[in-house]
Amino acid sequence: MSYKFDFAFLADKWPDFVAGAWLTIQLTILSIAFGFLLGTVCAVARVYGGPLLRRLVGAYVETIRNTPLLIQIFIVYFGFSSLGLKLSAEVSAVIALTVNMGAYTTEIMRAGIQSILRTQLEAADCLGLTRFQAILHVVLLPAMERVYPSLASQGVLLMLASSITSQISTEELTATANLVQSDTYRSFEVYMIVAVVYLVLSALYRLGFWAIGLVLFERRRRLGTPL
Amino acid sequence: MKTRTLLRLVAGAAFALLSFGLPALSVSARADTLDEIKKAGKIRVAIDVAIPPFGMTDDKMQPTGSDVDLARLLAKDMGVELEIVTTTGPTRIPMLQTNKADIVISTLSITPDRAKVIDFSIPYADHPSVVAGLKTVQIKELSDLDGKKVAVVRGTTQDTDLTQKAKGAQLVRYEDDATMALAVASGQVDILATARSLLPAISKKNPARTVEPKITMQTNYLAIGMRKDEPKLLAWVNDWVKTNLKNGKLAAIYKQYHGVDIPTEDLLSKAGG
Repeated sequence: MSYKFDFAFLADKWPDFVAGAWLTIQLTILSIAFGFLLGTVCAVARVYGGPLLRRLVGAYVETIRNTPLLIQIFIVYFGFSSLGLKLSAEVSAVIALTVNMGAYTTEIMRAGIQSILRTQLEAADCLGLTRFQAILHVVLLPAMERVYPSLASQGVLLMLASSITSQISTEELTATANLVQSDTYRSFEVYMIVAVVYLVLSALYRLGFWAIGLVLFERRRRLGTPL
Repeated sequence: MKTRTLLRLVAGAAFALLSFGLPALSVSARADTLDEIKKAGKIRVAIDVAIPPFGMTDDKMQPTGSDVDLARLLAKDMGVELEIVTTTGPTRIPMLQTNKADIVISTLSITPDRAKVIDFSIPYADHPSVVAGLKTVQIKELSDLDGKKVAVVRGTTQDTDLTQKAKGAQLVRYEDDATMALAVASGQVDILATARSLLPAISKKNPARTVEPKITMQTNYLAIGMRKDEPKLLAWVNDWVKTNLKNGKLAAIYKQYHGVDIPTEDLLSKAGG
């Protein structure tokens, strides 16, 4: 069998790839944003909360981090609908990815929060800041800056992991690849193209995280050094 | 984002292209598949074991089903060992193209599109496709599907058919029959387009959501798939299918798993005698 590469199908199919990539972007940006908020709240709860709250958050984090993402997605999509709550594939995907991202973010942010010295909080106390103000202004931002590279990586990982939501019929990039492949039988070409698109998306996400980092962390913007 | 990171990404892309591309180029001059099978003493058959009753696993987690028995019989008659390469609907043909399997016996319907990239044996069974739904669903023809969610398995003939003929329908595409069946059983969808042979297994998953055939879309014919330009293998397989259609062995396998007879005469006439 001599294999000849043939990319002619791209002339017809490129809008499908664009649509697939666009859905991947929409699903993952929503999930990353919600997941980050969820994770940050949980991280604060895990460090500063009461014993019950800490344990609850701990259970959530460990459950999610120790079960496969695919199973989590199936539980949201098939499980909830068995109970009568019918969610569309896209909504299920965002929920499952958010919950997943939230668990990892919790651990990452917890590491950041715990790296902030106690004396900082005491200083905030002396300045008359309330506990809430102190956590928000004195702890969270520097904590986030410290663990920002890990957060960005987790975001990119989530974007790549979103490919398995094709299992529950979201028509994202991987689903598009499978569809085009089954249409044209140019499997090599299709998966090569999609691999390159994911690579480009990863680069774009990293660029995006870097830009957000610049906006968020004034210290870094001015000094240009890692914290 | 530094230049170095960008460089690394570019290098990564180049590496990915190379590792994908090189094996593809290096498999050019290859010997005759039939000779190779006999020399190796085993035939690699791609079968999807998630499409009951064609391919499934029994309670001992062993592959079973009508396609599996067919493959066993074929390997026995060829005098070689059977190696089952498990596959899924969308990867059946790539399995052949990338030389991961010698033949495909996996509810593979003969279609003109597929015939462009692989060769088919003469048909060994018929395979009617239907649109099915819950008892409460009122559909009589394809236009009744407008605006309704219809589950299909991505890349199957039902997917292609409905994409063309039922433009108003909202197709929900799953990766395999098991996932689609779960979607029906769990209530995500009420209508699906699939092979008639699959309906009993789907209804069994959740008897409260029993599905019944509503519209017969078309009858396909199942055949054994192999790579193009393998005249010896094709001739052997054709001969084998014809012999076993005539002696009733294939009909017996089909009856055992599907409970219906295959139209042997019809199939033989399609094979040209």
